[in-house]
Amino acid sequence: MRIFACLLLGWMASLGAAEDRVVSAAETAYAKGDYATAVEQWSEEARRDGVSAGLLSALGNAEWRLGRKGRAMVCWERALLLDPRDPVALAGIRHALAAGGTERPASTWAETYAAFLTEDTWLILATTFFWVATLCVVVPRLRGRAAGEWNHRTRVVALTLFALCIPGLWGGRSLSARAVVRKTEVSLRLTPTTFGEPLNGVAEGDVLRTGRPFNGHVRVTTADGKTGWLRAGEIEPVRGATLPADLDQKAAP
Amino acid sequence: MRRFLASTMLLLLGLLARAEDRVSWEITPRITAPGQPFRLQIIIESDIVLGGAQQVDREIRPPRGMALRLSGQLVRPDSNEATLNFSGVAPDQEGEHVIPSFNLRFARKMIMVPEVRLIVSNSVAYRRTAQARAELSLPDRTFYVGELIRGAIHLRAGDDEAVVASFGLESVAEGFSIAVTADRQPLPADLGQGMRTSFDLTPIREGTSELSLRGTMLIQNTDTPAFGNGNRDRPFAFRRKLTVEHVPERGRPADWTGAIGAFTAEAVQVSKDRPEVGEPIRMRAILTGTGNLDRLIPPEIPSSESWDVLPATERRRHAEEQRFFVYTLVPRLPGKLLTPALRFSTFDPLTKQFSRIEFKPIEVTATGNAPAQVDLVTADPAAPAGAKPKAASGLAAPAPQRGAPLFRGVPALSLASSAAFWSGNGLLLLVLLTLTGGVLYVGYLAAHPEIRRRRRARSLVRTALVDATAARRRGDRSAFALAAVRALQVGAAALLDAEEAAMTQGDLERVLPGAPRALLDALFGQAYGERFAEGAGAAGSLGEDETLELLRRLLTLL
Repeated sequence: MRIFACLLLGWMASLGAAEDRVVSAAETAYAKGDYATAVEQWSEEARRDGVSAGLLSALGNAEWRLGRKGRAMVCWERALLLDPRDPVALAGIRHALAAGGTERPASTWAETYAAFLTEDTWLILATTFFWVATLCVVVPRLRGRAAGEWNHRTRVVALTLFALCIPGLWGGRSLSARAVVRKTEVSLRLTPTTFGEPLNGVAEGDVLRTGRPFNGHVRVTTADGKTGWLRAGEIEPVRGATLPADLDQKAAP
Repeated sequence: MRRFLASTMLLLLGLLARAEDRVSWEITPRITAPGQPFRLQIIIESDIVLGGAQQVDREIRPPRGMALRLSGQLVRPDSNEATLNFSGVAPDQEGEHVIPSFNLRFARKMIMVPEVRLIVSNSVAYRRTAQARAELSLPDRTFYVGELIRGAIHLRAGDDEAVVASFGLESVAEGFSIAVTADRQPLPADLGQGMRTSFDLTPIREGTSELSLRGTMLIQNTDTPAFGNGNRDRPFAFRRKLTVEHVPERGRPADWTGAIGAFTAEAVQVSKDRPEVGEPIRMRAILTGTGNLDRLIPPEIPSSESWDVLPATERRRHAEEQRFFVYTLVPRLPGKLLTPALRFSTFDPLTKQFSRIEFKPIEVTATGNAPAQVDLVTADPAAPAGAKPKAASGLAAPAPQRGAPLFRGVPALSLASSAAFWSGNGLLLLVLLTLTGGVLYVGYLAAHPEIRRRRRARSLVRTALVDATAARRRGDRSAFALAAVRALQVGAAALLDAEEAAMTQGDLERVLPGAPRALLDALFGQAYGERFAEGAGAAGSLGEDETLELLRRLLTLL
């Protein structure tokens, strides 16, 4: 009981601290319109402490204000991977689609379904229900006794929930298999070669569905269903490093 | 007849010899110093009347660093001879320079001129400052895409020659945009008499490319009488390889929008320092320096609680290396207000460093009363009618602290791509399968006890076979018989599902049909006879080989 009380007190204290927290220098800079400083400060914070959905979406806002659509969309998409219902990231993406001239593939029903939870949460739930159902089947056999009524109920509930998790897993995988165009003027190519015939253009900040990689290119599908190849360096996967990559920075050997 | 043939041959040879065009050239002086002017004369004799040569300048390709220009040609209408004069300036590099063979197109014939060689040597006495010369002024460094490079061609007079005019400037700069900003301007006083042509270069793509500039200056000897016609032209040519790179992205500030150069934030001026609340005033920030001022994107100033900011038209004074950023400010609250911060980043191509330019805000006192509710001003009072208002931003207010520290993570690594997660689940599944298999195996054995009994019997029979063989080797009949009988009893009990001790010779005959009864009796007697009568087991032969064969046969049945 004492331990529970201590934990409760600690949680309430942390909530209280969150209420009267100190506004960071980055937030102040953002509020004053110094978006460059805000980006630098938030990036430093992300490198030091790791990222959260709130931090990534704030960084996306500052990047957008600086006119860097590609980096902003990467930040927002990654924020949604951590928290699919992050209001700042959702507002940013809505704004980019409505007023910013970017395009994003319409969500399938599985993606919409998967957006209720994170991909990791879906996987944890599916794994848990799978094991519950499996153990419900296996344990009575191991014990050499007939399964009871509660065992049957638990088995059915676990299997049902496991089945409900499968579209979430599928949608989460589909949401992760996307990338953001980082270059300003890029053309889809017919073939994955340097001299591939240009098909039609995509703009910085556009979100694409990605397919298989080949010969330094990635097969992509645009929001309007056009399919072609882009150089791997022209796009940045949504599921990637913490902060948007510097594209001209050479990879370490 | 012989005389006739000989004269005919001579006539034919004469005709053939006459059909050849004779081309000769002469360079004056024959050996020049670097940068020294020279004259090239090409004399052509043909078998037909030539007329004037056309497009000579297009055909001739002087080597790198050499300037060459057709200065005149002497052609008589009724003559089959032509003389072409070129004026040139020797390259700065010492050595033999070759003008490749080229064609001269006359009205009725095209004649090929063989290659012309010019020797440049430092041993030639030549006072460069005595003659008019052209110099290219261009920074010698790596350039960056988008920067503004100021260059100039200085046509400088010498001690003996003055520059009168210049004409025919041609430029070829692949990968650059070039614009002549000032032509035929007088030289600064420290450079003496002459003319200057200024141009701006802007690299438009990275890589190495060549800048080629050529033209002609008109010069006059200083000792020529004022009304004399002693002018002559002298070409100049420059070819320079330029390296262009992109501004490095590493360390590039987020608010860098393409400013390259060395700039200074001069001052911020406002049109009125005591406006009323809601009264638009103009704020003008003056930026000076050298660089791509005309390519700068005006920094965006967001509206705030104190100011509503609207874009305004700007004016630029290029000659003074200045750029104005002009904004319309509307005070929203009364009191002393500081003008909004105006800052952006620049890249200095000389130091290759980024730096930040920041204009110092000035104080403005807004008079009047604050409205009950401050709303964003969405229309510029100074804007023309019908202009579209600025689109409102749909971004939400950022909340970077939102989210518990427990959920801080790295979106690069999903649980689905974690090897530990899948290997843990796989291990758990393996354990479960092993347990299940073990339980099923044990259950099966429990349901079929004969499997265990036969296994045990096989083991005992094998052991007994070894013991019996050892006892036979020792000559211990009693031990041999005891081991054999025990093994036979165990084996028969396992096959008949009965007690081992209860197995008799009759049971063994059932299990092993055809087993000799006498042998079994002898074995049982030898094994157990001592229990009932002393010395009973010593009689008769045991038939060791047959006994061992029986044991092996029993082993195959188990």
